[in-house]
Amino acid sequence: MTAPHPAPTASAAPDDGWQRLHPLSPLLRGGVVLLAVLGYVVSQLVDSVFRSFDPEQYLPGDVGDEADGTWAVTAHPLLAVAALVVVIAVVGGVSWVSWRFSRFRVAGGQVELRSGVLFRQHRQVPLERVQAVETTRPILARLLGLSQVVVQSAGGSDSHLTLAFLGADRAEEVRAHLLELAGRADDRGAPQHAPGQEVAPSGPEVASPSPTDREPGVRPLVQVPNGRLFVATILHGSTIVLGLLLLAAGLTVGIAEAGLKVLAGAPALVPVVLGLGVSRVKELLVHGNFAIGRTGTALRVRHGLTDLRNATVPLHRVQAVEVLQPLWWRPWGWWRVRVNVAGVHAGDSTDDETVLLPVGTSTEAMTVLSALGADPEDPVLLEALHGDGGEPGWTGLPPAARRLDPWSWRRTGYALAAHSLYVRRGRFTRRAVVVPHARVQSLALHQGPLQARLGLVSATVVSTPGPVDASVPHLDAAGAEVFLDVVGGRAREARRVVGPRADERPAATGEPLAPDPAPLVD
Amino acid sequence: MTDPAPPSPPDPSPTRTDTTTLGVTLRGGDLGWRPVAPALATVRLIVLGAVLVVPLLATVVVALLVTGWVWLGTAALVVAGLWGLWVIRRQVSAISWVELDEEIVIRKGRLFRSLVSVPYGRLQYVDIQSGPLARAFGIASCEIHTASPESGGSLPGLPTAEAEALRGRLAARGEAQRAGL
Repeated sequence: MTAPHPAPTASAAPDDGWQRLHPLSPLLRGGVVLLAVLGYVVSQLVDSVFRSFDPEQYLPGDVGDEADGTWAVTAHPLLAVAALVVVIAVVGGVSWVSWRFSRFRVAGGQVELRSGVLFRQHRQVPLERVQAVETTRPILARLLGLSQVVVQSAGGSDSHLTLAFLGADRAEEVRAHLLELAGRADDRGAPQHAPGQEVAPSGPEVASPSPTDREPGVRPLVQVPNGRLFVATILHGSTIVLGLLLLAAGLTVGIAEAGLKVLAGAPALVPVVLGLGVSRVKELLVHGNFAIGRTGTALRVRHGLTDLRNATVPLHRVQAVEVLQPLWWRPWGWWRVRVNVAGVHAGDSTDDETVLLPVGTSTEAMTVLSALGADPEDPVLLEALHGDGGEPGWTGLPPAARRLDPWSWRRTGYALAAHSLYVRRGRFTRRAVVVPHARVQSLALHQGPLQARLGLVSATVVSTPGPVDASVPHLDAAGAEVFLDVVGGRAREARRVVGPRADERPAATGEPLAPDPAPLVD
Repeated sequence: MTDPAPPSPPDPSPTRTDTTTLGVTLRGGDLGWRPVAPALATVRLIVLGAVLVVPLLATVVVALLVTGWVWLGTAALVVAGLWGLWVIRRQVSAISWVELDEEIVIRKGRLFRSLVSVPYGRLQYVDIQSGPLARAFGIASCEIHTASPESGGSLPGLPTAEAEALRGRLAARGEAQRAGL
């Protein structure tokens, strides 16, 4: 896909100076509405111009039935032409000025964007603060072969810097360039991720064609077929409950009457179905076309049915991993993998970089996990996924927890491995959470009045904001103290081993950790 | 996987009951837990009183002028105030904290007990806040922020000088033990 217009020379200039965005960007930034209005106005004007040159169809009174006088002006051919020229000139002029005033550059360890004519804005993001760089392609931009580059920094979505728009190839170039620069800053921060040390994960590879291949360093890992995603999205508690309700109604009332009843009840069902439908469709839109690949120190995620996004998740920013399986996915053996990433906030509109596998077979889930540093043969991991309680090495809940959690109390528990804490929960929706000891932010205990009566305490490993919740509910009181002691002790050891970040203490040797889950452990 | 890595604590299985290093419990213990200033209770009581006094006066006026039934509302407000007094005293006396070698531990609550243990190495920054009322009583609250908004602990009701000193100590230890993100 190439830009319909050749990129202006300014945007091909080297990095020492300011570069411009694509000339069509002001129009695209205006969005669909502006374009629609503009298209309508222009087509009306063009119509009336042509009509006015056609003497047979030109009837002065023809446009009179359009109540407002605006179009009456265009009844005269010269006026119509003039209006057309003025509209195009104004829009073009405003766009041109806006385009002239929007410039960006990458220099001096910073990404800078200047924009605005009246209200000038100058945003700078230091490269070492860059958390991720992604390219996104809203549907209009996709039609024109343009992309936007979103530079994400810690501090929420309002601290993002968006370069909208660039030609698709140029955007990939800028993204790669920024990532390279930011990655260099990262490598200074995390010396154990020096490129030479990256060992290829041993997991099985799913060799599938992916559009990320055009980047040289990306090795595709998993691609999710849209058909499976569709089935998995439909297999959701809410839709199944709805289906069962309809079925039950049909069985009890009788088939013939059910049709009428359903028809009568349809208006009431509309909002429910719409609500369900919207959430399902949104999930489908966000996770469609999903593919994940591996570069040296990061995972490349591509997803989006209409808005195709390319996101990068640096491995050393992953704070916690969760593998979950709703009950409905169990017959198919499907899993979802989610992560907490430092600097990516769960409150953002789409959960883009927190889902590393929307739905995959266990082999695919293991592929993603091994890219994150887990060992697919690890018995603790397998027990975390499939165990039902009572395995050696796992600390479960006391029988008193049965009163508060009758279904899952046997399965819920935690286990300590060399580098990570494993937590498993849920009998129906199975969840397994992995938090490397070096990623534990802090520990917390909570006890409500009911728990106090039963002598239970919930323990939580606090991670950075994200979808993954690493808490063990309803441990017994002594067990919770042990949890605090043991997990805290492991975290303390891990922090000591990792030591201060090298950018704060450059002399840190950053001795490589044991090879096991090294990419997950900072 | 349960075999310990070289730098791990000696006992890999989390079954030991002698809490050698910490002994941190939800119910306190002999670690030298430090209470917060009793002035915090006074401040909170003043706030509670300020909130309750307007509806209380309103009910009294209405009861005197319109109907005696509104005395019930007055009684309810008085009961609520007394209950608040009891709760505030208990809550404030339940807040305690202790600085360990590598963590600061804050304990709160009676009915809903909670405990948060924040390693110094994870501190991002420390805020000290005090409103006008708190300043009048010479106390300030110390908010501890980590990379996760939910994990930070807040320690209300420290004497201002002590809050400043605590911030200094936390900053120094955080610098010494910093562990990145």
